[in-house]
Amino acid sequence: MIATPRLSSILLAAITVLVAALLYSPLFVPIASSFFPMARGEVDWSSPTVDTYVALVGNHEILFALRTTLVVGACTVVLSVVSGTLLALYYHGRRAGRSLLQFIIFLPFLMPPIISGLALLIFFREIGLERSLLTVVIGHTVFVLAIVYRTVLTRLQSMSRTLVEASYDLGATKWQTFWRVILPNLSSAMVGGAILAFALSFDETMITILVTGTQTTLPVRLWAMMRLGFSPDINALVALILMFTVLLCALAARFLIPKQIATQRS
Amino acid sequence: MKSAGLARPVAIRWSPLVTALAFALPVVFVLVPLAIFLVYSFFSVDQGQIVYVPTLANYLRFFTDPVFLPVFWRTIVLCLSVAVISILLAYPTAYFLTTLRGRWRYALLMLLMVPLLMSYVIKIYAIRSILGLNGFLNKALVGLGILAEPSTLFVFNMNAILLTLTLLLIPFAILPIFLALERIPQVLLRASDDLGASSLQTFLRITLPLSMPGVASAASFVFVLAIGDFLTPQMVGGISGFTFGRILYSQFGTAYNWPFGAALSVALAVVVIVAILLGERFGRNRGASL
Repeated sequence: MIATPRLSSILLAAITVLVAALLYSPLFVPIASSFFPMARGEVDWSSPTVDTYVALVGNHEILFALRTTLVVGACTVVLSVVSGTLLALYYHGRRAGRSLLQFIIFLPFLMPPIISGLALLIFFREIGLERSLLTVVIGHTVFVLAIVYRTVLTRLQSMSRTLVEASYDLGATKWQTFWRVILPNLSSAMVGGAILAFALSFDETMITILVTGTQTTLPVRLWAMMRLGFSPDINALVALILMFTVLLCALAARFLIPKQIATQRS
Repeated sequence: MKSAGLARPVAIRWSPLVTALAFALPVVFVLVPLAIFLVYSFFSVDQGQIVYVPTLANYLRFFTDPVFLPVFWRTIVLCLSVAVISILLAYPTAYFLTTLRGRWRYALLMLLMVPLLMSYVIKIYAIRSILGLNGFLNKALVGLGILAEPSTLFVFNMNAILLTLTLLLIPFAILPIFLALERIPQVLLRASDDLGASSLQTFLRITLPLSMPGVASAASFVFVLAIGDFLTPQMVGGISGFTFGRILYSQFGTAYNWPFGAALSVALAVVVIVAILLGERFGRNRGASL
């Protein structure tokens, strides 16, 4: 950008600071109250404590919901990475019907989750599938599939055709080429896609609320608890989760970004 | 989506099983549920039982009942306002980012995206406590002397939904605008400067028009995400903050009228599709790359 006059750049910086403050204010509340006791809606700044973190260890209900979330996330990652990669390999370069099927894969991601969730709810009822963790995993997989598919497809499209040709020229079979050339080239995109899929599944609330059975994931559990107000140990959990997700995203960025810049330069 | 030059398809022959799977997966788990959903909107409910006889009654009810259409329009206006406010805050922020150099630019962009990683539900809860009667906002306004006493203006009504959704969705507006601004070729700005335009003229005649695709995408993103949200209105809307998403959700809970809920979803889907198509139409970058 061209240098802006002093006054306007100060104004722009001020608005940016305001926006950052607005965005961070809802993060600040639970983190602050995880270290300081709350009394009558006021944070007591005088006595920092880690009691909430200690109490969290004893909160079996929440820890169980957290475990459920992790299990659902892991299943979602496996299902979505396998099918997403398969679909990307299959549709890559295929013209007949590709754009239509691609559009269908993207629908659950584009449509409001309430529509995808309700459609699945009615679908499960019609095929006689009881609402359970299985239906939650299916819901999450359908939702995140588009992201994994897109990530792998992008990598495939930036992959040089000469690599595959060289492999064939050197006498490799179809499967050898797949395992030794194509898959290693896709691996970091698959890891990046997996991390994104896990992050989305971890926080998915709206579809989950609609298709979940009695045993449910953390966000839905938290949603149910909000009517009564939180116990302070939830704040500790929230602070920990935030740290964990930031770490996870730093990892995702590491897997996704350097490779793409490298391929663009070559 | 076009594979250019070297990036031609990787040749693998597929067994019929894989072919079948590649077609079946999207069709069974996406298209079939949506189709059933659409069909459901033509059914009805009688004493808690779904009657599988096609009827237009649900759609007639939506258009004639004095309750639903006003809420529908009000929700659209609400979500448009959320989009406009988000863009008004996001545009200067994105512009400021592009004035920064290299590493700082992306570090700050990441910093503004981090709040997206925080649990959606927890954020809604935290924002409600900020907007509440004893919340930080009221304390600050009373402390600054703007308000004489804490006000209930900011929680459990439409304002609360507007503020909360805006706070939640600003990052979705920053990103596309930033990308559009970043794509504007520096040469154009320098040429404008060389030809004697002031920075304001350069901004109004070159930067702003060329960044409009980003603004259109941002508006479409924020609007679609806002109108599909039924958790935020439920949490901060109280009794008066009734949105379309909430009515829709209640058809599957307390009201227990799935076919009518399906018809309401079709109405919602139409609005969303229009918003996405408009975003696509005006979000395309034309002539911004040299």
